[in-house]
Amino acid sequence: MNELIVTIFSAAFLATVIRTSTPLLLATLGGLIADLSGALNVALDGIMLIGCLTSVIVSAYAPWYVGVLAGMGAGAVVGAIMAFFHLRMKADIIIVGFAIGALATGGTVFALSIATGGDKGTSINLPSKGIPAIDLSFLSSIPGIGPFLTGVFSGHSFLSWVAAFLVFAIWYFLYRTPWGLWLRGVGEYPSAPEAAGIPVNAVRAWSLVVSAALAGLGGAQLAMFNYIGFTANMTAGRGFIALGAVLLGARHPVGVLLAALLFGAFDGLTTVLPGLFGWIPPELIRMIPFVVTIMALVLFSIRAQRALALRGAR
Amino acid sequence: MSTVAPVSTGDLKPQSRWTVVRREAIRAFIAVIIALAATVLIIFVTSKTPGEAFMTLLTAPFSKTRTIGLWVDDVAKLTVTGLAFSLVFQARQFALGVQGQLYVGALAATYVALSPVGQTWLGLPLGIIAAMIAGGFYGFLPGIAKARLGANEIVSSLMLNYIAVELCNYLVRVQLVAPGSGLLTTVKFPKSSLYPVLVANTRIDLGVVFAILAVLAVWFALYRTSWGLKLRLVGHNPRFAEYAGIKSNFIMVSAMTVAGALGGLLGSMFVQGQAFGQLTVLFEGGFAFEGVLIAIVARNRPLAVPVVALFYAYLRQGAQLMNIRTDVPAEVISVVAAIIILLVASSFSLPGKAFFAKLFRGASPAPAASIAGGTPK
Repeated sequence: MNELIVTIFSAAFLATVIRTSTPLLLATLGGLIADLSGALNVALDGIMLIGCLTSVIVSAYAPWYVGVLAGMGAGAVVGAIMAFFHLRMKADIIIVGFAIGALATGGTVFALSIATGGDKGTSINLPSKGIPAIDLSFLSSIPGIGPFLTGVFSGHSFLSWVAAFLVFAIWYFLYRTPWGLWLRGVGEYPSAPEAAGIPVNAVRAWSLVVSAALAGLGGAQLAMFNYIGFTANMTAGRGFIALGAVLLGARHPVGVLLAALLFGAFDGLTTVLPGLFGWIPPELIRMIPFVVTIMALVLFSIRAQRALALRGAR
Repeated sequence: MSTVAPVSTGDLKPQSRWTVVRREAIRAFIAVIIALAATVLIIFVTSKTPGEAFMTLLTAPFSKTRTIGLWVDDVAKLTVTGLAFSLVFQARQFALGVQGQLYVGALAATYVALSPVGQTWLGLPLGIIAAMIAGGFYGFLPGIAKARLGANEIVSSLMLNYIAVELCNYLVRVQLVAPGSGLLTTVKFPKSSLYPVLVANTRIDLGVVFAILAVLAVWFALYRTSWGLKLRLVGHNPRFAEYAGIKSNFIMVSAMTVAGALGGLLGSMFVQGQAFGQLTVLFEGGFAFEGVLIAIVARNRPLAVPVVALFYAYLRQGAQLMNIRTDVPAEVISVVAAIIILLVASSFSLPGKAFFAKLFRGASPAPAASIAGGTPK
């Protein structure tokens, strides 16, 4: 047990948490935007998968940043398709999300097979690139805590820092700009912004596009940093965990950041535990993120119900 | 959380039943045609022998007795997963737990079949019952979590799916694996625990009968019992249902439990059926989610589910054979599926419909939901 505690508070483990949290955080921020605009984006997982594959294929033939942008762009295109079918064709957003999910699980394998000439499992034959790590080893020169800071913060993906910045940017956008107010208004009570002359459908469409672009960016991080290359179904439910993280984070950017870090920590634990406790079966360790998500969802729901009861809303 | 806007499906309008059926059938047919057109396009872009590939997709399942058997077997299984999704969707619960229910059901059936009971004639019925109880329990969990705590059923049911898959992996590896086998699979079940074959030399077994019975049972429960009426009311208009004094929580939880029992039955159909006759890790391969498409295209109507399953299973088998015989991967079918779901869920009308109406009737009563010139592509 002591080894576990020592491991968890080590700089290396905290660095792992940042690494595993980053794709989750990006997807969760995407889920947050969609959720606040009033659409539950159940396609996050599928969009991440599409982002993974696009960034891997593009980065095999172009510089890494083009791959990242392609992953994000692919996400945005999917978001636009969702917006078209949801807003113009009046399809239920959850059903549209299911359709994108179906498209992503099979379509990525199909596209991978076409791109690699018959390979259905992995993109091992594609020379895809990785996102460069940002070296902050100069932090070591700080006396005392310098080496620890280096261990935690150095060597992370460029996108980890982008994600951290996005938490602030999205908070600023939502709570300090008029457009953020529009977005929240549209999600809260669409009739009011409509009466005020705000283009409700345009706000919804852009929210879906941005939401999907963020999930695509999360996919790029997953396939170009956490892993290099694509494997079928590599998101392993992260998009759905992100949906849970949006709820757990009380639909606020900072709360969402904490929720993503929590889930990232348990995800990191799954990589550390096999080395520490060899007797725990790997299947049970792999269950941890899903069990934790359910527990978090239940605890959050209890808390939300209490808050509702306190306010006397029911 | 009020994220789902109520959808007016127009089901409650006083309309002739056949008008509705015909309209829905035409919409589904148009969606399939557009999806197939897209498939032709994809096949022509990606394949070296596009003509052969497309002909295989469309004709191969009907070519041999064996392939027809595969098709019928697929229809039966798709029907059951489609019914399970239809039931929860009718109550407007987007629980996606059929995959998990399938795995726990299969595990329960396996424990019965490999126990001494499995050697006797009791193995078959007890295996099925155990699977349905296990699946029902697994469907009950997200239901009660939502009813008591308001926990989002989409997230909780999906997480339970992943847990069930890992549970199956674990139990097969540690407890159930056949000794001396390099594969993660159990021994073949004793014959007394397997579904009897209905047509010799094919996979057509008792599962087909269960699928038909399930269709009739779900139809009866939804449209001929007060429980079904309440369930549909809760799905259509939860507020009205609440004012009418319907215990919507009870309806919701019971619908998810019954759907879970169907998922468990599907698990038994997999492992006790002729196709497997044993439990293998990851035997399902995402099959359960095909039920989402079946339910959406069938508009959650139990009697329409087997019809949709008939067509979709044909496409699935065609795609499998195309995968084997030509250079087009079977996964192309998921593109077809996505297009069909999107088009069926959309309210679209073909261009020129108003024109034809004018031509035949003189005046055009424009349908409210039509979008001018909106050809979905």
